[in-house]
Formats: sequence, C-alpha cells, structure tokens
Amino acid sequence: MTLMSTTPEAPAPAGGTAVVERPADELLTQPPWVTIVWDDPVNLMSYVTHVFVTYFHYSKAKAHELMMQVHNEGKAVVASGSREEMERDVNAMHEFGLWATLDRSE
Amino acid sequence: MKAFKKRRGEFWAKIEEPEVALVSSLLEQLIELLDVPGENGPEPEDPFEALARELADDPDQPEVSDDPAVRRLFPDAYPHDPAASSDFRRFTEADQRRRKVAEARVVLEALAETDAGARPLRVPADDVTAWLRTLNALRLTVATRLDITDEESAEQLHELPDTDPRAFMYSVYEFLGWMQESLLRVL
Repeated sequence: MTLMSTTPEAPAPAGGTAVVERPADELLTQPPWVTIVWDDPVNLMSYVTHVFVTYFHYSKAKAHELMMQVHNEGKAVVASGSREEMERDVNAMHEFGLWATLDRSE
Repeated sequence: MKAFKKRRGEFWAKIEEPEVALVSSLLEQLIELLDVPGENGPEPEDPFEALARELADDPDQPEVSDDPAVRRLFPDAYPHDPAASSDFRRFTEADQRRRKVAEARVVLEALAETDAGARPLRVPADDVTAWLRTLNALRLTVATRLDITDEESAEQLHELPDTDPRAFMYSVYEFLGWMQESLLRVL
C-alpha cells in the first residue's frame, strides 16, 4: 500500500484484541474458511481502511489495525465463515479493487 | 484541480479542462478494457459475426485474460486451486465487469456535467462508492502499465527524469491517487 497522506491515523484506543470465549457447542463448527487481503503497492492505506469500515462495518480502530497488518505483514485475515460467505466477501473485495483470496482456516 | 469539499451532503471540487479530458479518456479506455458485450459499439449485423462474437463472449467459459491489468482487476480467488478459481470467475466475473463499467459511466457523466471544467464537479453521496472504486480501478490499471509491482518499483518511478516517457504516466498515477485521497478525506 502507499501512504499519500502524512497525517497518521490516531492509534487504536481499543485495539480490538479482546478474545471472546467460544461456547462449547460451537467448538466443532468453527468457521472453516477465511477471506485474506494481500498487500499491494497501489491501493491507498486510507482507501483500504475505508473499505474495511464500509463493507465489514468494523470500527475505525479495528479497520486501521487490519490495514496495518496487511501493510506490514503482507496479508491479513479479514473475515471468516462458510465457504459461501467467504466467496461473497472475496467478490466484494474484488469489486473494491482489493487483492483478496479465500482459503481454509488453519 | 482543487481538493474536494463537502457541502450539504454532497462533494464538490473545481476541476480544470485538461483534467476532465484526461480522466474521461482514461475512463473510456477502462470501459473498453472491461469489454462488456454491447458496451463497445453496436452488435454486428452479419449473423455469422454476431455468432462468432457471442461464442467469444461465452460467459460459461471465462478465460483468464492475458492482459496483466485485467488479471489484476479480477484476481484468482483460490490461488492454489485453478479449478475453483475458474468456477468462481464463471459465477462472478461477468457481473463484476458490468458493475465496473456502470460505475465508470457514473464518473464519466459527472465529468461531462462540468462542461469541460466550466462548472464545479459534483459527487452526490450515493455516487461516492462508484467514484472511489473507479478511481482505484484506474490506478490499478495505470500501475500495471507502469510495472508497479512493489514499493521499490513505485519509488524508482518517483525519481524518473521528466524526459522519460513513463514520467507523464506516473504523474497521472499520482494525480488519480491524490483525487481519491482528497475524496476520502472529506467523507
């Protein structure tokens, strides 16, 4: 991604790292698929954050955190769910011009 | 062009005639690249030619384009599974192409309404997504033509002398990014 603006986003106050305990009855039905967004040198950081907020309805903080993960680590898992749901999300990411793929979750 | 401003829920910017001409031309090229049946001139009258075209456009057999710009607009959904990627294309790509063309036309119309920059450019709130996506598609396409594959190649282009033929295209790329950023800032 490329940084057009020199104004950094405010640091994420909540961080979005809270782990919710998965109820026992969902242990066997873990979402088997994930949507992955990959880093590319073209898409603006502000645009990628905007897409995560508008499409996934993530908070600004969470969207910014995911965008930074894409930028720094080369990719990030942005959603998980059924294969159908993930195909819908990947298709939506392609509509926005983001480079997205789906894969089985590990 | 001046940066976008928000007024009564709409987004406005002063744009100059050469910029209207430039972006409009790029949009025409993008629409041509997307190659949606019926979008590039009337259907041929010769029945054989019509059939040939229909066969070439068969949506049941999407082919992976050999144009890297098109490949970037429609990446493989399953990088390790060509068959699944091909199925995914079959179900999504024709719609994707149509939607991208429709969105490019929204932008093209707004530019036409400026009367070559005589009137300010107006982007209603409902059109913001079409604008952001279309500017992004243009940037991706120009970036492919410039061989921008990583941060380093982008930085090298930044230092091109004005005499290099790629320098103008790179300035276009930067202008499109500036325009997209400008709209994002006022949302």
